[in-house]
Amino acid sequence: MEFYQPETIEQALALLAADPAAMPLAGGATLVAMLNAELVEPSALISLAGIEELSAVEAMADGTLWLGAMISHADLATEERLSGGHSVLRQAAAQIAHPSVRNIGTLGGAVAHGDPSSDLPAALVAADAVIKMASPTGKRSIAAGEFFEDYLTTVLAEGEMVTAVGLPRLPENAVGHYEKFARVHGDYATLSVALILAMKGGECSYVSVALGSAGAKPVRVPEAEARLLGSALDGAAVQDAAQLLSEASDPVDDVRGSAEYRLMLLPRLLQRALNVAVACAP
Amino acid sequence: MINITLEINGEERELCVPAARTMLDALRNDLNLTGTKNACNQGVCGACTVLLDGTAVNACLVLAANIAGRKIVTIEGLGEGGRLSPMQQAFVDTGAIQCGFCMSGMIVSATAFLTENPKPSRHEIRAGLSGNLCRCSGYVRVIDAVILASERMGA
Repeated sequence: MEFYQPETIEQALALLAADPAAMPLAGGATLVAMLNAELVEPSALISLAGIEELSAVEAMADGTLWLGAMISHADLATEERLSGGHSVLRQAAAQIAHPSVRNIGTLGGAVAHGDPSSDLPAALVAADAVIKMASPTGKRSIAAGEFFEDYLTTVLAEGEMVTAVGLPRLPENAVGHYEKFARVHGDYATLSVALILAMKGGECSYVSVALGSAGAKPVRVPEAEARLLGSALDGAAVQDAAQLLSEASDPVDDVRGSAEYRLMLLPRLLQRALNVAVACAP
Repeated sequence: MINITLEINGEERELCVPAARTMLDALRNDLNLTGTKNACNQGVCGACTVLLDGTAVNACLVLAANIAGRKIVTIEGLGEGGRLSPMQQAFVDTGAIQCGFCMSGMIVSATAFLTENPKPSRHEIRAGLSGNLCRCSGYVRVIDAVILASERMGA
């Protein structure tokens, strides 16, 4: 197996293009574990660790915050520019696995891996994040809601790489909350709720909800958000929204809980997330 | 094979490793530093925790070829001049050890944790060390040890 350490995105893309069996190595938290288990056998590893621009955080004039793909979960969890509604991403990052894994794993790695049970995808979908990708033929950006397609499957094409994640501006008064239910601290979620909420005069003036571990990709339902929007988040509205989310969910039975159990958790976790967000909302 | 130089426990070391060689394998098999333990090889159990430029990482998830020029501290490098580090001493004094297999990782994790949070609550210690599994289930005295180290180091 070859090992390359390019210093620019262009060099990395050229290496990827030259060898279809090569794999880009971000932090390694998942890829090295897969190598150890002999689940993957790339012909070469292309380390992205030496590409400085992949670690940048950039706030644009239009309010969009761009996060480089190689930012670690630990750095995301303490990134102060992830404020207001964007704090949902900070909270999700802070609950990924354990400190020693958060020091290794990266935003771009988690995005490219596309595991619907991991914490960042749901938070990114809730935040209307944009995934920026590069390939030898050019760059493109796509909404997180369309980027994740299925279990461990994304729109990333062969030879294409995630380079950054963009978070568009949210309402000034929005708050974010990531509610994760896991069997033990640091485990994958049995179910998680990524929520961004704003209140005005006792009514919900902005809301975005995405579920993790609820199906093959993060689950987001416009009708459920429409039911909450403009309401006082009364019991009936929350119940209806949870029902709509539940109908769109298709969780698996596994060691972290049965599909039935996950769906029973859903309305309770949504209510819990709303309670916290309302209490934090200005 | 890839030639790298890195600093291990304060000493510059040269290694010639295959691309997929983890830091864990390099430490144990190439450098004979067997204090760092190999259990799950999946980043789940924490037995292989080492300090990479001062932060705790699972050595089984880090490729040696990817950390040329960086600084690693293992359990063997925590003490100074033949004396145990305050965290090691606190683990000994509280009798936090049962079979001992998880202890290298526990102590290294606890060392990094206390640097970030010098006066932690018991709850914070539980969260901070949640990535270190003890299959003897001897967690209570581990928490006692971290509290003791925190008190001694703050004194």
